[in-house]
Amino acid sequence: MKNVLVYAEHRQGATRKVTFELATQARTLADSLGGKACAVVVGSGAGAIAQQLAPYPLDAIYCNEDSQVDAFLLDPVVDYLEAAASLVGASLILIPNTLSGRDIAGRLMVKLRAGIVADVVDFEIAGESVVCVSPKLGGAITTRCALRPGEFGIATVRPNAFQAAASGGTAKIEQLPTARRSYAAAIDNDVEEGTGELALEEAPVVVAGGRGLGGPEPFETLLKPLARALGGAVGASRAAADAGWVPYSLQIGQTGKTVTPNLYIAVGISGAIQHKVGMRSSGAIVAINKDGAAPIGEFSDLLVVGDAFRIVPELTNLIEKAKGNAT
Amino acid sequence: MKIVVTMKLVPDPNAEKKIDPQTKRLVRTGVETVLNPYDEYALEAGLQLKERVGGDTRVTIFSMAPDALKETLRRALAMGADDAAVLSDPALEGSDVWATAYAMAHALRRLEFDLLIVGGLTDDSSTGAVPGALAEHLGLPCITNARKIELADRTLTIERETDVGYQTVRAPLPALLTTALTFGEPRYASLKGIMGAKKKAIASIGLAELSLDSAVGSDGSKTEIESFAPPAARGQGKTVEAPDAAAGASAIFDFLRERKFV
Ligand SMILES: Cc1cc2nc3c(=O)[nH]c(=O)nc-3n(C[C@H](O)[C@H](O)[C@H](O)COP(=O)(O)OP(=O)(O)OC[C@H]3O[C@@H](n4cnc5c(N)ncnc54)[C@H](O)[C@@H]3O)c2cc1C
Ligand SMILES: Nc1ncnc2c1ncn2[C@@H]1O[C@H](COP(=O)(O)O)[C@@H](O)[C@H]1O
Repeated sequence: MKNVLVYAEHRQGATRKVTFELATQARTLADSLGGKACAVVVGSGAGAIAQQLAPYPLDAIYCNEDSQVDAFLLDPVVDYLEAAASLVGASLILIPNTLSGRDIAGRLMVKLRAGIVADVVDFEIAGESVVCVSPKLGGAITTRCALRPGEFGIATVRPNAFQAAASGGTAKIEQLPTARRSYAAAIDNDVEEGTGELALEEAPVVVAGGRGLGGPEPFETLLKPLARALGGAVGASRAAADAGWVPYSLQIGQTGKTVTPNLYIAVGISGAIQHKVGMRSSGAIVAINKDGAAPIGEFSDLLVVGDAFRIVPELTNLIEKAKGNAT
Repeated sequence: MKIVVTMKLVPDPNAEKKIDPQTKRLVRTGVETVLNPYDEYALEAGLQLKERVGGDTRVTIFSMAPDALKETLRRALAMGADDAAVLSDPALEGSDVWATAYAMAHALRRLEFDLLIVGGLTDDSSTGAVPGALAEHLGLPCITNARKIELADRTLTIERETDVGYQTVRAPLPALLTTALTFGEPRYASLKGIMGAKKKAIASIGLAELSLDSAVGSDGSKTEIESFAPPAARGQGKTVEAPDAAAGASAIFDFLRERKFV
């Protein structure tokens, strides 16, 4: 394994932050391995994404604007990645640990007879050996897991684990030959329901609300303004999602999303183990809870014991004031 | 129609997890084994489909697990599955994702089915790579994260959740699905179900029956765990009592300042 290949995930030309994190990290890894760093970007809008990737320190960007990629469920992406991987040779393939990233990784593993390590947050390289560091068992332990040298290895990488830095880009953009035309799983309809806000897993700051908020309105009136002030996204506990206050796509925890923002603010969340496993690897954790004995206090850097309804607006105001946007 | 639902047996998600420093594997003694929570949603989907399609539709549970744990599947049978098959073999111990998916695919091929429903993620290893790998091994269309399933003329029409909304995807049977949590809460086992489950069959499959052409277990794995450690310790947290909202807000504000978030 010498070269590094990045799957540049995007949605019809809308980028994901993690793609640039991987493009940057690929260079560091390729330099340690003594190989090349390349990226693959396919589907409608791929050309524009390739242009956005160009300032990043890659050796080659393999691209195909094939619109069939958007007509079938991931099959064409898997074929294009397989083609690029055979072009590049035995390599470490970096795939974002996202909903589609996980599906793609499992299928590519079989096609390339590759080893796979999931949810990687760091790498250690010695010679041609790649060791992947990843939290397991809901963050209860951290494993160091080696991929076999000389074969393909796949790492699904956690968003926010690495920094993106656009510098030293000299990559050639190369056309990948067009893949097969038709597949079994056809997409009839693709609907955006969200409000186009920051993807939860990739947000640098998450402000999450729980049952303590008592209803859907405080998510809009309390949490959203705080999240906006901090440049973050709103999340929720399962209790809040189950109550129908927010969509399940905002749920964080064992049966929801795993997030690792630099800052996590838990508002009216007790900190049950099933919630904890989805957020405990966050950088800094702040909790606002009226119960000083809530379990969330055991793994927070700061627990403020008080009424969220009164504290959050004051806090948002302080932050806006500091930014010079006081109301 | 024949539906197979895969279910992994995992240590109770609520229990404290420990790793044996010698074997580097999870200590499973003293920790109750349960059905992987995601797989209960997969089973719920299978049972709802069985109710809708009717006729001689059967739902079979498949698990790759140590033989000693197989009684845990009785709960799935009590929920309404018709029977279960367990792939158990000491040689499977230490299998990574590659080896697991490889062995599972061979066993599943023997079960013959129209629809394979897989959970989205396991609670213990959380790779989420097994569904895609099985689809690839078995040559099946792979539709993940389904929240609504329609079936007519052996064609599935699936509403699947995406990061930003949903997609409607069409595919012919046989196919592989995974379920989203929005699919609906898994049902409880009724008393009648629990009684009935006692008589349902849990078949054992051994590796000898599968004629695999490459190794499984640690030898057949493509990754090797070198070490493990507890996560980096978080410093002792601070608690601030804030009966006064302004004091609470400024305690947080000061913290955010100090950590350079504002
Ligand atoms: C199989 C399984 C999977 C699960 N998966 C998940 C998961 O993925 N994610 C998840 O989150 N949960 C999950 N759960 C549920 C979990 O066990 C808890 O029930 C849930 O996390 C509780 O949500 P909560 O903290 O919002 O509510 P509660 O536990 O009810 O806590 C509400 C908190 O709000 C505080 N509060 C109330 N009013 C105020 C106020 N005015 N100001 C400040 N604080 C206030 C209270 O003191 C309390 O601590 C799962 C459970 C099971 C069994
Ligand atoms: N040993 C196993 N036995 C049965 N099903 C499994 C096993 N391992 C994984 N699966 C299935 O694959 C899904 C995803 O697993 P994973 O890729 O390990 O996160 C689970 O939800 C299960 O449905």
